[in-house]
Amino acid sequence: MDEDVLTTLKILIIGESGVGKSSLLLRFTDDTFDPELAATIGVDFKVKTISVDGNKAKLAIWDTAGQERFRTLTPSYYRGAQGVILVYDVTRRDTFVKLDNWLNELETYCTRNDIVNMLVGNKIDKENREVDRNEGLKFARKHSMLFIEASAKTCDGVQCAFEELVEKIIQTPGLWESENQNKGVKLSHSEEGSGGGACGGYCSVL
Amino acid sequence: MAADSEPESEVFEITDFTTASEWERFISKVEEVLNDWKLIGNSLGKPLEKKGIFFLARAGFEPATSSTWSQRPTPLSHRSHPFRATHLKLFYQRKVKQGQANIFVDVIPQSMQDLLCMNNDFPPRAHCLVRWYGLREFLVIAPAAHSDAVLSESKCNLLLSSVSIALGNTGCQVPLFVQIHHKWRRMYVGECQGPGVRTDFEMVHLRKVPNQYTHLSGLLDVFKSKIGCPLTPLPPVSIAIRFTYVLQDWQQYFWPQQPPDIDALVGGEVGGLEFGKLPFGACEDPISELHLATTWPHLTEGIIVDNDVYSNLTPRLQPSLLFGRPRLDLNPPAQVGDFVTEFFKICRRKESTDEILGRSTFEEEGREIADITHALSKLTEPAPVPIHKLSVSNMVHTAKKKIRKHRGVEESPLNNDVLNTILLFLFPDAASEKPLDETTSVDNNPPSESEDYNLYNQFKSAPSDSLTYKLALCLCMINFYHGGLKGVAHLWQEFVLEMRFRWENNFLIPGLANGPPDLRCCLLHQKLQMLNCCIERKKARDEGRKPSTSDTVANTYPGDAGKAGDQVGSDSVKDTDKEKGDTGKSWDSWSDSEEEYFECLSDTEELKGNGQESGKKGGHKEMANLKPEGRLYQHGKLTLLHTGEPLYIPVTQEPAPMTEDLLEEQSEVLAKLGTSAEGAHLRARMQSACLLSDMESFKAANPGCVLEDFVRWYSPRDYVEEEVIDEKGNMVLKGELSARMKIPSNMWVEAWETAKPIPARRQRRLFDDTREAEKVLHYFAIQKPADLARHLLPCVIHAAVLKVKEEEIEILENISSVKKIIKQIISHSSKVLHFPNPEDKKLEEIIHQITNVEALIARARSLKAKFGTEKCEQEEEKEDLERFVSCLLEQPEVLVTGAGRGHAGRIIHKLFVNAQRAAAMAPPEDELKRMGSLEERRQNSVSDFPPPAGREFILRTTVPRPAPYSKALPQRMYGVLTKEDFRLAGAFSSDTSFF
Repeated sequence: MDEDVLTTLKILIIGESGVGKSSLLLRFTDDTFDPELAATIGVDFKVKTISVDGNKAKLAIWDTAGQERFRTLTPSYYRGAQGVILVYDVTRRDTFVKLDNWLNELETYCTRNDIVNMLVGNKIDKENREVDRNEGLKFARKHSMLFIEASAKTCDGVQCAFEELVEKIIQTPGLWESENQNKGVKLSHSEEGSGGGACGGYCSVL
Repeated sequence: MAADSEPESEVFEITDFTTASEWERFISKVEEVLNDWKLIGNSLGKPLEKKGIFFLARAGFEPATSSTWSQRPTPLSHRSHPFRATHLKLFYQRKVKQGQANIFVDVIPQSMQDLLCMNNDFPPRAHCLVRWYGLREFLVIAPAAHSDAVLSESKCNLLLSSVSIALGNTGCQVPLFVQIHHKWRRMYVGECQGPGVRTDFEMVHLRKVPNQYTHLSGLLDVFKSKIGCPLTPLPPVSIAIRFTYVLQDWQQYFWPQQPPDIDALVGGEVGGLEFGKLPFGACEDPISELHLATTWPHLTEGIIVDNDVYSNLTPRLQPSLLFGRPRLDLNPPAQVGDFVTEFFKICRRKESTDEILGRSTFEEEGREIADITHALSKLTEPAPVPIHKLSVSNMVHTAKKKIRKHRGVEESPLNNDVLNTILLFLFPDAASEKPLDETTSVDNNPPSESEDYNLYNQFKSAPSDSLTYKLALCLCMINFYHGGLKGVAHLWQEFVLEMRFRWENNFLIPGLANGPPDLRCCLLHQKLQMLNCCIERKKARDEGRKPSTSDTVANTYPGDAGKAGDQVGSDSVKDTDKEKGDTGKSWDSWSDSEEEYFECLSDTEELKGNGQESGKKGGHKEMANLKPEGRLYQHGKLTLLHTGEPLYIPVTQEPAPMTEDLLEEQSEVLAKLGTSAEGAHLRARMQSACLLSDMESFKAANPGCVLEDFVRWYSPRDYVEEEVIDEKGNMVLKGELSARMKIPSNMWVEAWETAKPIPARRQRRLFDDTREAEKVLHYFAIQKPADLARHLLPCVIHAAVLKVKEEEIEILENISSVKKIIKQIISHSSKVLHFPNPEDKKLEEIIHQITNVEALIARARSLKAKFGTEKCEQEEEKEDLERFVSCLLEQPEVLVTGAGRGHAGRIIHKLFVNAQRAAAMAPPEDELKRMGSLEERRQNSVSDFPPPAGREFILRTTVPRPAPYSKALPQRMYGVLTKEDFRLAGAFSSDTSFF
């Protein structure tokens, strides 16, 4: 089952309540859309294996509840995440405005600083857009995040978002490959023993 | 290839390999390596790279039996060679010459040109072959093991001829050396071949300098006779000379740092503060000697006279290079480093606390019999100092008594006073009259947001003012000074006892930030915070329950201290229970009964009645009649949809604090439920306890409320408001639950229906503090010293880095490399320590780095003291000196500008003069007098400088060899003369076409 999986990545989905976090996830994992998806309580969890550039990665995706009250609980799940998907609703400006709070939270609770962040503007299928694409783009650039607009309903951009995120994580070796970091050719010039090591002064003075 | 034209190669162009001997195979292997490394052909015109970069490659091959030489040579680290005794090592090094870019387009190989190149004379740090021959590229074949030394002459010759053949066959122009004799002698012979030219590298190594060669003229004689040049007169020989003087006597400059006074700590006079600091620096002078080298870079024969009678080589007038050589210990003397290293060693111990302390009992009993003084000290052992007013320390004492009862007084590994000092340092609240209250813990909140303070984030340790951090330092100290592993085990045992005591008696633990465990800290710190959360809740509950008897449980000890102290371990729970039952206090905090409430009030009965009533009847109208309870504050403008009453935010239960291991467990459990719909449902249900509790609180605070009201507070986006036009044509706001909230029997609706109006304080506790506290205490109890050390190592590393940083700021602002290294250490450790089980190797690496920085700083300190940079009054000179000192630290060699006349030069001169005088045992009074007059000093028989510790000569010339009509080729001889070493390394080229 896992034999050719390169790595397992932990990914977190956060954002205000009702922006469609669970729907995005459901679209990605099951390729379905349920307009009547119940509000998440606490955190939910899904797994999917995807292949990016020939590398198979198993994703453990934690979907969180957006309600203020649940937020005291969710920071615990930020631990050890390699990627975070921050979602807002393009038809509700308030969900975009609150992004700053979420970023603060991320900064406070993330245990590592090289984590890959992705901003997703959801529900682009809807008519009454309140947040322009450029605004999202600007915000993402300002905070060095990946950015994409998507619709869980029409499937636009969803797959792409996850793939992009995973690719970026895999390109950041220290993030997922704990064994092979700090590797590299050691530059050194002294030989073992007295065989012919570097000598600063006279050999006999040593 | 170029080799084709060589006459030698013809002889060996045999293609019959059937009878190939070992040495032939050896040769072919050497060739193979040369080919593999692409060293064949002309090596001219290679771009020179930055100085100091070395490329290393190594491979082994076996000349004797079956070939293991299948591996391709790859860059290997020094020690990892898989080959054994009979194998030889091939060592390839491409030495890059310092910053020179003079590429000749000439026929003779580059290495031959290098022989004459003066730019690489006396390199500060280099392979000895570079030093001797000025080469920048060469190959060395050396025995893999010391025992394999090539000793017999015939073997040496065989080896050398094999090499020669291989070079000829491949056309490799890189000089190839073979190491002969014992390794320590560093004897090499070698050869370099070019088109029509050959250089032989030869060497003489003696223990004593033969009399006739103690001076330049003798060496010149050797050189000339070796060249055997038929021309007369000989072309002039160019000479480069370097003398090195060693300054070792630092009598005038006491090393300022004293080793820490251990006795002072034992005496109990020194406050606990000492335990919070790591000692820094070296106890001994880290600079054991300074070398002054004076160079005559380019002389011609005849300009100078240096023979057995007279020499005009005196150091004063020459431009001098000074280089400080630090003490040549393998381990730099660094206390911080030692501390951390020792502490790290605990990680590898396997014993449990009991094993360690238990065994110590046994051992010490045996010793006691033999040791009479020990027995005497037993008689005179001072009784523990009673500190009556201090409740906590009372406890500590009694606890100790208890331990001693088992172990016998004098057997406890930690001295009583030391232990008291430490405990008082860790728990400062024990010393104050007031028992701990909220303010103390508030004090412990982060005082600063500075970068340094937040370092714990990077190390995953704990804030530098936290109990955890202090504990780590104390354990580190104890490990080093007071009893090692046993001491560590002992203190930990005491610490755990103290923790249990605090839990049982509602004393908050000092030195921890309020709130839930900080996941950025180490697990032990989180556990302590967790325990504090438990204590806090228990205390609140107990105080809430007995509001009238405020002067009881929380503030004093139950019964007499002795009794309380006798309870240890699991028994104590029961005992305390009983005791507390007796005194009628805080019984409930121990109850295992079903009814555990978040908070308890004295008017329980009345409220319970309410709850039951409402539970039966339900419906908002009846509930509206209920007395609202548990209101926190009014929510802005919102009113209840049905009653129009203002909406109140209820007091809610705090979510359960979690440490990272609990979280891990929980998320594992949640993840295990799988991704199916049922799994998701179950997951939601498991997490709905908090939601339900909040709903109940909300219902209690807002009688007559409906789900819509709740949603408007809890998840406002799920209440959709629309402007509709009613029958009368007015715009009316009409709201309803969002679609997802209206799904029949979704978790929210379900929870709402089951929720009873119960205020938070009477709800079942979401967080069972009793259980969690016991879990933490149990966890503490089972930690072995090794586990403990692992937990706390990040704190110790953190402390070490802070200490180094602090010293660095204090002492030198101008050594950039230190700052850089510290930064590297921090980023390196943040990478390593964030993983749950960092590898020992990586940890060692970090510790090693810290030790090095410390040594560097100690050296800087030493140099500054020696050169008196602080004392220097003139601003400009001071700056110069400081620059000079920092250069000495960072570079292997530093030019003394202005030689003897420069400021630094004068100081160096003075240092030498003082040392010389001290060596001549001049009494200090005379010293002063002599300082007065320069003339007098001159006249004195004691010269300013000692005889040079080493003398190096490089003799070079270009002459035709072997015949007068041969091509003029570079010849070179290097000689080094020291007290017990004499070495001549000659490179003599000859024309192989016209001889």
